[in-house]
Amino acid sequence: MGLWKVVKSVLAAFLGVQKEGRRREDFESGKPANFIIVGVIMTLMLVVLVAAVATLAAR
Amino acid sequence: MRTSFVWVVGLIIALVAPLAMANPWNMPRGVTDVSGEIFSLHMIIFWICVAIVVVVFGVMFYALFRFRRSKGAEAANFHENTTVEVLWTVIPMLILIAMAVPATATLKQMYDVSDAELDVMITGQQWRWRYEYLGEDVAFTSNLSTPRTQISGEEAKGENYLLEVDEPLVLPVNRKVRFLLTSDDVIHSWWVPDLAVKQDAIPGFVNENWVRINEPGIYRGQCAELCGIDHGFMPIVVEAMEEEAFDTWMEERKAAAEQEAMGVGREWEFAELMERGESVYGSICASCHQAEGQGAPPTFPALAGNQALLDEPERHISTVIDGVSGAAMPAFRNTLNAVEIAAVITYERNAWGNETGDSMQPSEIAERIADQGE
Repeated sequence: MGLWKVVKSVLAAFLGVQKEGRRREDFESGKPANFIIVGVIMTLMLVVLVAAVATLAAR
Repeated sequence: MRTSFVWVVGLIIALVAPLAMANPWNMPRGVTDVSGEIFSLHMIIFWICVAIVVVVFGVMFYALFRFRRSKGAEAANFHENTTVEVLWTVIPMLILIAMAVPATATLKQMYDVSDAELDVMITGQQWRWRYEYLGEDVAFTSNLSTPRTQISGEEAKGENYLLEVDEPLVLPVNRKVRFLLTSDDVIHSWWVPDLAVKQDAIPGFVNENWVRINEPGIYRGQCAELCGIDHGFMPIVVEAMEEEAFDTWMEERKAAAEQEAMGVGREWEFAELMERGESVYGSICASCHQAEGQGAPPTFPALAGNQALLDEPERHISTVIDGVSGAAMPAFRNTLNAVEIAAVITYERNAWGNETGDSMQPSEIAERIADQGE
């Protein structure tokens, strides 16, 4: 399973909406560790992004 | 069919719009630039909410009516629709961001306390406000002035019932005034809707806020944090004056403060002390110890006929100056000046049948407080 697909699934999870077919695919062919690692990294990136926007707005 | 639907929506808006604009229920536009901005934000967000309600419920009610079962409509049976789900997630997100942008801009302004031309320290006390013009040597407490007879219902209630004070906070228009808020006892909150200021006064902390008032006038508010039995009896009155009138007022107050300071040194007549003491007692002490010194036991002891008080003048003085640790009695060392403390002690020792004949000189009190300070 490609990295891009994992990233897309994590993005879908951020939004809270996912296609049923993609969800099934993730559960059948994906490895949990991949989703957890990519999920943690992207969450950190989101935190940094929000912090950056807040800092910019506060200036 | 379609025209009747449009009519219903139009009717709803026609009913809601005047309600939203009508004064008694809506927040005031206020008299500062910031309060105007807050009001506009409030109205914009209100109308966004109205539009969302009209669209969402409009579609829902239209669907309920148009596709009703009695007309042969059949339920569609499907599980998911990713497109619709993405839409109803992304659209609200965009609306929220669109509302957050102007709201953040206003918040930034509200927090910018820099470049103030006047600093006023506001201290909450059970149950009054104390105002101190920093660097000007002018300070006073502001007490409820609604007569007790109106509160107890013996007299008709006045126009500004529970929203009137003996000494309002006087501020100039067109100048940036910074507030520094704190409290001597519990958490209070200084709230004046027309100034769009509602700021907690917390013991041990100093909160900041600011105003630049555009129109002279009298603006009233209340304590907005439940702070004890007389929470409803510590209103706020702000009198905004033209700049010149304010400067004159400030000069007068400074001169009066100077005269008061000189008064500490001289010998006071008994009658003078009693007269001054009665007015201090009425504005500061009577809310707990009651108008006739009868108190409200067990929390607020009676002063009239209080044997301990009559027998021990020393303890009487230290109680007023230092308060009573662990009890409701606050220390008045910083709230009242030496003249006021001497006068009120003299009054309490000679009013309502207390006939000790004792009189207290302001100079003695000033000396005691100075000794403690060392």
